[in-house]
Amino acid sequence: MTDFLMVLFIYIGIYSIASLGLNLIVGYTGLLSLCQAAFVAIGAYTTAIIMTSTGLSFWWVLPVAGITASLSGLLIGIPTLRLKGDYLAIATLGFGEIVKNLIINWDSVTKGPMGINGIPAVNLFGIKLTILDKLPWMLIIWGFVFITYYLVRRIVRSRIGRALEAIREDEIAASSMGINTAKYKIGAFITGSFFAGIAGGLYAAYTQAVAPNTFDFMMSVMILCMIVLGGLGRNIAAVAGAVIIVLAEFTPRLLGISNIIPPQLNQILFGLILVMMMIYRPQGLIGRKKINYAAIVKKEILNLEK
Amino acid sequence: MNLFNIPANELLQHILNGLTLGAIYSLIALGYTMVYGILKFINFAHGEIFMLGAYSGYYLYYYLCTPDQGGSWVMISFILSVLFAMILSAVIGMLIERIAYRPLRRAPRLAPLLSAIGVSIILMNLAALAFGTEPKNFSYPFDNSVINMGTTSITPNQIMILAVGLIMMAGLKLFVDRTKLGKAMRATSQNQNVASLMGINVNVIISLTFAIGSALAAVAGVLIAMEYKVYPSMGQMAGLKAFIAAVVGGIGNISGAMIGGILLGLLETFGVVILGIPQGMKDTIAFSVLIIILLVKPSGILIRNIREKV
Amino acid sequence: MKRLLAILFSIMLLFTMACGKGDTVKIGFMGPMTGGDSNYGKLMSQAVKIAVEEFNAQGGVLGYNVELIIEDDQGSVEKGNPAIEKLAGIDKVYGIIGAVFSSVSLAIAPKAEASKIVMISPSSTHKDLPDKGEFIFRDVINDSMQAIVFAKYLYQVEKTNSVAILYVKNDYSQGLAMDFKTQFEKEGGKVVAMESGLKGDKDFKTQLTKIKGLSPKALYIPNYVEEIAQIIEQAKQLGITAKIYSADGFSNPKIFELAPKSANGIIFTQIAENRSQVKKDFITKYKTKFGEDPDIFALNSYDGARILMNAIKQAAEIKDKKLVIDRDKVRSIVAATKDFDGASGKITFTANGDLVANIGIWTSENNQYKQIKAYKLENDKIIEIK
Repeated sequence: MTDFLMVLFIYIGIYSIASLGLNLIVGYTGLLSLCQAAFVAIGAYTTAIIMTSTGLSFWWVLPVAGITASLSGLLIGIPTLRLKGDYLAIATLGFGEIVKNLIINWDSVTKGPMGINGIPAVNLFGIKLTILDKLPWMLIIWGFVFITYYLVRRIVRSRIGRALEAIREDEIAASSMGINTAKYKIGAFITGSFFAGIAGGLYAAYTQAVAPNTFDFMMSVMILCMIVLGGLGRNIAAVAGAVIIVLAEFTPRLLGISNIIPPQLNQILFGLILVMMMIYRPQGLIGRKKINYAAIVKKEILNLEK
Repeated sequence: MNLFNIPANELLQHILNGLTLGAIYSLIALGYTMVYGILKFINFAHGEIFMLGAYSGYYLYYYLCTPDQGGSWVMISFILSVLFAMILSAVIGMLIERIAYRPLRRAPRLAPLLSAIGVSIILMNLAALAFGTEPKNFSYPFDNSVINMGTTSITPNQIMILAVGLIMMAGLKLFVDRTKLGKAMRATSQNQNVASLMGINVNVIISLTFAIGSALAAVAGVLIAMEYKVYPSMGQMAGLKAFIAAVVGGIGNISGAMIGGILLGLLETFGVVILGIPQGMKDTIAFSVLIIILLVKPSGILIRNIREKV
Repeated sequence: MKRLLAILFSIMLLFTMACGKGDTVKIGFMGPMTGGDSNYGKLMSQAVKIAVEEFNAQGGVLGYNVELIIEDDQGSVEKGNPAIEKLAGIDKVYGIIGAVFSSVSLAIAPKAEASKIVMISPSSTHKDLPDKGEFIFRDVINDSMQAIVFAKYLYQVEKTNSVAILYVKNDYSQGLAMDFKTQFEKEGGKVVAMESGLKGDKDFKTQLTKIKGLSPKALYIPNYVEEIAQIIEQAKQLGITAKIYSADGFSNPKIFELAPKSANGIIFTQIAENRSQVKKDFITKYKTKFGEDPDIFALNSYDGARILMNAIKQAAEIKDKKLVIDRDKVRSIVAATKDFDGASGKITFTANGDLVANIGIWTSENNQYKQIKAYKLENDKIIEIK
């Protein structure tokens, strides 16, 4: 039982890193990216391919995975600079499908739909960590979660973060204030995808196997749901969202009713989350409080009139 | 003639395959383009309306007759099923608009898009729960035997898909250009506020748009179900490709949807053959076309360049 | 934040309660229970259910009932991994009948092995599977044997010397396609085209058009029924006249529903027919209980489950009023299976866990399957068995 709970925490951790990354792109910069799963895939596959074909240690490969993912973030970030809203979303969706499709078809490198099995175990100070060593993995992954959270917080609380939020609120105004919107938008993509790549690398190293259909549009939607549910633009919310969604995904299996409860219910849940949250609570469960200036001013005036 | 090292008869067959594939995309793209034209909004759930149309047609058809028997009752049931599918899809389309999109009309662009994605996911999974995930066979009401023209083959259903596509496009264009309602729709698409000031009930027009677009999708659904079977996820990729087709031709433009669809079908079929890449790369071609168009000529092929003023 | 913790805590309570049930011997089944391939999983799990019922009716394991835990892998590796983690980590099953698809079996085998769970796959035919571990077995014929026998049959018996192959990119189909090609070319035949598609593809016209242009005498499509249905229909629509052949994936009767006008008259390979009483009784029982016929993989599932449960019973003993089952002993008993009287035939495992069997050449006729010939592979020659 504790075993399975640790597995849950491991997945929550991995998804948290990916959703913190997406939060930078969507929550802070306002760029609707529907391809986070593709960046995770690139990180995972880079790790898998390098580790299985050379004997390089995971600790060297992981940053490479992150960097490769962020390069692909650059790849999609640049062409989409001029696109707005819906078009940007669809372009990222297309990019996600292209990545998945390339992985499936480039079998000489990625072994196609069959995926890469038997990634060597990670070596931590001489101890080999496999998928059965749940506690060490949990600690490692959550270590990364904290590092990611800290880094993202630093970015967000700095001038960079304010620039991103300015771009989100009104891109034209931001650029007329002298903010180089292109630089920051690309930067958001690169950083967000970097973290996704790290999440992917951790995933590959932990499960010791990767397959292309894991990293599909539904995974991008799932990560998106995490930040929508938690609250766009608030980092702890991204983690909270990850907790809730992963729990929702795994609960039927834990309760032993996974073959009775069809997997469709899970997905329906994600769909409902999206629709409901948009209509009723777009700021998420614990999202940012939007300061209602009009109400404050009104109160002040009423106060003065007394 | 030996173009790109493909013998002539094979080339003709590939062209036919590409045309019919393209016609399929066009049929679905019409609905997308209509809604976008009016609302400037991508109805992500359009593919699912297409799928539900296929299912409604399927169930009524198999309820009314046993298709393998043949005969005129089968043909009548088929037509009834198509009409039923159209009506049901129109209703579903209007309901979705009311419930999931109308509340978000004033919200930032992100919101209705996410909502549409949500609706799409919900509908697909509800269908899987209700109807089962296994594909169901939708028999042709007529004899779909292959017609051989030399070494090239085509089936009656493929011809029908092409014909229906053209008829629907022509019909739609006539409706939008020549009728009063069509005029109202064009007015609403140009400027909702002014249109309502002129006495047009914008909500009704919008519902009508969804209804028509959905009904057209339902027809596409039935025709395509006969070719590729009925299954819950049939709307997903088809919807995306149709959207690409609409963008390629010029989203909001009805003839654009047709041309974009055919073009996409041909590009996919020939792209794979000419480039010698594996079949599975069809999707990569389609999405690459999308990204390229969005970068180079986002208004689509048919529309003259309207630069967005700051 | 407090709310979140409260929710988490109550969920954890639920889990501990769910886990508290005791006193049964758990075995698992893993396969696609939902999704496009769910028919395979359904037919097979039903067979295992019958086996478990029969076994419990005869006293179970020293008085303890066997409990079957069915996990859905949706036919994919990424869903198979959490499924095996649950079966191994939470349910701690003693054996698994599964997985159904080769790709999933290959992925979960290392974990089953590490947890000392005996795994008997009733349908994963990829040649590398039994080598994945000592605890990994299968009671279905393997691909390389299928491919070799079929290549020889096609060339020598049907005297066909040009074949086009249309396969799907997954372990099963691609494995068969490659092995067949190697053997067929060894025999002296020519593979004129090797086209591929992806699982879930609906449109194969481009590949088929290319194949049509090469006019092969035969078209080999070693896939699952969902794709086979589309391929045979489209082949007909394109006017392809080559004779169509397939492999054991074709044996799922759903094909007759999916492609009613084209599914008959196709020749495929499968394990040689068994005419035993065990099989007849099982089919009757299955039909009565579930209202449909079992397919060959269901027969294999039934046999595998019985082998597994018998081994568990023999490896079990009661110590201090508690049931203790020696996992290594279960494994060695299963490994020693010889001439087990199964519904699918007599079952004997090879040294590494593979199945010793003869291959039948079958055809589809009137929406049913019929064997036309059977062969034994000996010294690189096929010998017909009457």
